[in-house]
Amino acid sequence: MRVEKFDIAKAQLETAVWIFLNGHDRSSVCTLAGAASGILDNLVKRTGKESFVDYGRRINQAMTGHTPKRQSYVHHIEKQVGITPNKHLAIDEEDIIEIDLETSARDALIRTMADYIVLAGKDEHFVKAFFQYCWNNMDNSVIMEQYALVPAKMRPKQ
Amino acid sequence: MTVKIYSRLQLAAGQLESALGLFMSGRDRYSVITLAGAADVILSQLLLREGKSNFTDHMLAAAQAKGEEFDATRQSHGKQINDLLLINAFKHLDDGGETFVDIDDLEEAALAAVLKALPNYIQLEGHDKVLVTAFRIWSAKNLDPTRYNVHASADWTPTNTFIRDPV
Repeated sequence: MRVEKFDIAKAQLETAVWIFLNGHDRSSVCTLAGAASGILDNLVKRTGKESFVDYGRRINQAMTGHTPKRQSYVHHIEKQVGITPNKHLAIDEEDIIEIDLETSARDALIRTMADYIVLAGKDEHFVKAFFQYCWNNMDNSVIMEQYALVPAKMRPKQ
Repeated sequence: MTVKIYSRLQLAAGQLESALGLFMSGRDRYSVITLAGAADVILSQLLLREGKSNFTDHMLAAAQAKGEEFDATRQSHGKQINDLLLINAFKHLDDGGETFVDIDDLEEAALAAVLKALPNYIQLEGHDKVLVTAFRIWSAKNLDPTRYNVHASADWTPTNTFIRDPV
């Protein structure tokens, strides 16, 4: 059986959303979103469009004058959204970790959704359900006010 | 939204429980493999820290007892198993890599991923945890014990590798 990697990533992202919205294990959400992202990021790159990682690098350049190396920035993002500690344990790392798993899981999904939408749009039920959750549970008016102040050149490329 | 302290064992156990739940309820097999694989990385390392062998070590020792894999290391044998179970293919796409995966038997790969991680968890936490009991009940009803490691023993080897019963 030959399966497209896009479909594998989509299935894992949909499962991650299902686990998240049903209030189940947050570590699993981080790992599944991370796995989907490991595929979708490259698929977006192949289309010539801007992936979440490349958008972040562009913002970093605009704000600091420095463009981080792509792989380094991927690792940075994966640490930020809790993906790394849920799938890896280095020989010199501690057995105990301090983490906000709820925020990490949500942010890992947001990051992956950004790439999924570039490839497949926003029409799937699981995409709508997740963003409805964000709208209802995040400080949506403040976020939209802040977004309105972002200069056009600093926004994601459409 | 609160920062809390977790042990890595807690993080791995949560993912293994999700993998088992998805597997036994017939849901997404790709996610089963990814979650079992992530849990297994942590569980394997935790076992080594306790001075114990993990499932990969047992598999390598079994292969070498049969006169195979003499040049293999724990890392290379582990990667070989992970590639066989498609763990890497389901979470990664490199520049220039194929955008598809050829899969012989997804059901078998998902089951194998679970049966690789579970013995490591049992070595750390014993047989009495709910997730272990649930899977043992499920596997006793659904798997052939001569072909599958239904009791999740670390040193198990199949007595029947030719007959393939449906899962």
